[in-house]
Amino acid sequence: MVKITVDGTEVLVNEKKNLIDALKDVGVSVPHFCYHPKLEVVGMCRLCMVEIGSAKVDPATKQIVKDQTGKPIVIFNPKMQAACNTPVTEGMYVNVNSEKAKAARAGVMEFQLINHPLDCPVCDKAGECALQDYSFSVGDSGSRFREHKRNHPVEKIGTNLRIVHNRCILCYRCVRFERDIVGRDDLELQERGNETVIGYTPLNASSGPLLDTNYQGALADLCPVGALLNENTLFQSRVWWYDAKQSICHGCSELCHVTTNVKDNELYRYMPPKNPEETNYFICDAGRFSVHEFSRNRLHAYLLKGHPGKSVDILPQVAENLLNASKVAIVGGSTLSNEEVDAIQLLVNEWRNSSKDVAWEFRTETPMWENRFAEKADFLMMVDRRPNSKKLLDSKAVSIGERKGWEEYLSQVDLIIVLNEFSAPYAFDATRGIENSELYKLFEQKDLWKKTILVSTHESAATKKALASLPVKAFPEMEATYTRHDGQIRKSIPVLKPVKGLKTASEVLASLSGKAELARR
Amino acid sequence: MAIVKVHEKYKWKFLEKNYFYSIGAGMLVTLGAFFKTGILNKAVTIRYPEETRPVSNRLRGLHTLKRDEEDRERCTACFCCQWSCPADAIHIEAAEVPPERAHLHPEDKYAKVFQVDLLRCIYCGLCEEACPKGAIYLDGGIPMPADHRDKFIRNKEDMLEEKGGPLIGERI
Ligand code: SF4
Ligand code: SF4
Ligand code: SF4
Ligand code: SF4
Ligand code: FES
Repeated sequence: MVKITVDGTEVLVNEKKNLIDALKDVGVSVPHFCYHPKLEVVGMCRLCMVEIGSAKVDPATKQIVKDQTGKPIVIFNPKMQAACNTPVTEGMYVNVNSEKAKAARAGVMEFQLINHPLDCPVCDKAGECALQDYSFSVGDSGSRFREHKRNHPVEKIGTNLRIVHNRCILCYRCVRFERDIVGRDDLELQERGNETVIGYTPLNASSGPLLDTNYQGALADLCPVGALLNENTLFQSRVWWYDAKQSICHGCSELCHVTTNVKDNELYRYMPPKNPEETNYFICDAGRFSVHEFSRNRLHAYLLKGHPGKSVDILPQVAENLLNASKVAIVGGSTLSNEEVDAIQLLVNEWRNSSKDVAWEFRTETPMWENRFAEKADFLMMVDRRPNSKKLLDSKAVSIGERKGWEEYLSQVDLIIVLNEFSAPYAFDATRGIENSELYKLFEQKDLWKKTILVSTHESAATKKALASLPVKAFPEMEATYTRHDGQIRKSIPVLKPVKGLKTASEVLASLSGKAELARR
Repeated sequence: MAIVKVHEKYKWKFLEKNYFYSIGAGMLVTLGAFFKTGILNKAVTIRYPEETRPVSNRLRGLHTLKRDEEDRERCTACFCCQWSCPADAIHIEAAEVPPERAHLHPEDKYAKVFQVDLLRCIYCGLCEEACPKGAIYLDGGIPMPADHRDKFIRNKEDMLEEKGGPLIGERI
């Protein structure tokens, strides 16, 4: 830690950081566009200008010269410096809020807005836009620019990404993110001078004409203005309508921290968490946009052979089936929370004690069978797309067998209970479809549907075929904990209100168990 | 205790006892009004709804949506009016402008559906104040009675004017 003086106040800051980050720690915010803690510093926007100075030193005595009141005389450099590109040094003097610094910032803002169309009413970024905020807080209300504004048409550059060139302030963040974080150098500055735009160039012959990474949401998010926008949430809402809470993402066993965006009991998207310094700066598209599925195609009725009925009629029948089965297989479960898994484990032990042969296997896809639970698909997302595989891996109830043997075994058992494995958006993106999953194909091939009971959050082709389908609460409707791939426990909070009467998976299974006991008596 | 008389029966005067006097007085008023309106044409009432009274240009009445100088819709579905409406009377569905409508909109976002529920609206004028585009004004006169709830939902077609209206923040 070193001592510096900010606007006349002495503070202790971390000398390993640059001025923006160091000052942030002591509660002084320096407006900035292009700087991002995770990206290389380029100093392109010039908004973070501050005055830097040092105490006057007598060349003869090498002593700091003091005035009559005993204060050191400070000499500020005539040129202002970019705070993002200035390391902290002992005894430095910084003026963030002097008249000169304020005037410099207002000047930069005027330049940034020269070509900006000022179309906040139609811009999806409005409300979470740095340009809007800084224009309001540090900019001037007017502009002296009287020429024509440059005009480029909107361009679609990604499968889920468009660029509104007119709004771009050329901060270079998107380019740096693609190059340094995603590792695909496919965005670049094209043309020059006033006509400079951001453009997409396919990386090689095999990449398509559109950007198709898993991080197009992060690009839109990183863009400090409304130049990069995601198309699948385009014009659907306005930012200030979202109810934002801090929770985690269910999309894979990375369990990223997220901010939830809920409107009218519907999840629109996840956004990065409020405190990225302690958690994670980026989240992937698979997690960010799959959450809309929690309000679509939900299973809200008890189904018997695909037909909806009353729980009081269907549950006893299913319980009867369970009672009569001597060999039971449980498939899946790694989308359920720690609490659920523990509760089901207790139930399974009970069933085993009542001389039932119960086997439980949670692996359903090739990567899981190959035990690639700690492998990453890219810099962030895991190959294993289920949130809680680690918990089941450590759980004693689960048998760790061979894939072939297990698949044979499934044909021999009397009853199969599938825990959430056929439910979007867990593990499957809705575009890929349940029908294309390995488990679905296995069930088709061996014709296992007649003895299968599904515990499912979503309606799908599978719920129509199974013997019975039992609706349960989904991830954002429960307060629960999950185990990350490295063993860390993370907590999610309820952000959606479930339909009245909906149970959790363990509750449904417990009620089956209870009914079976009743039937036995 | 002595009885206190609080009410005494009204004693008719002579002329009042004679009913023709009262009727005559009433007829005089009627005939006076008859001459004034029927003969001298000085009626104070009007034949609403065929005729309407001029209203103040500050009246907050029915909602209208304005077009700009090039006949394009001013509203860009920014939702500011819906957000500011204290009665939750406005319902907007935004969409991207399709190419065949591009000449009708200055931007790439437009209101596919724009409805005002007149039974919810309290004519507070906050929508007019909130609009950054000068697109919505409450200058459409006084609402008509109707015989069905649905007829009180004002759609975009009912509200959209042919010509550009006043400038932002101005009334005619
Ligand atoms: S598109 Fe956005 S992130 Fe990229 S350079 Fe322009 S303003 Fe910066
Ligand atoms: S990496 Fe995994 S946990 Fe993080 S946002 Fe993506 S899907 Fe969600
Ligand atoms: S006048 Fe007031 S109540 Fe009526 S639609 Fe406008 S904002 Fe809503
Ligand atoms: S009428 Fe005005 S405030 Fe309402 S959505 Fe349209 S532009 Fe926005
Ligand atoms: S943040 Fe320092 S120049 Fe952009």
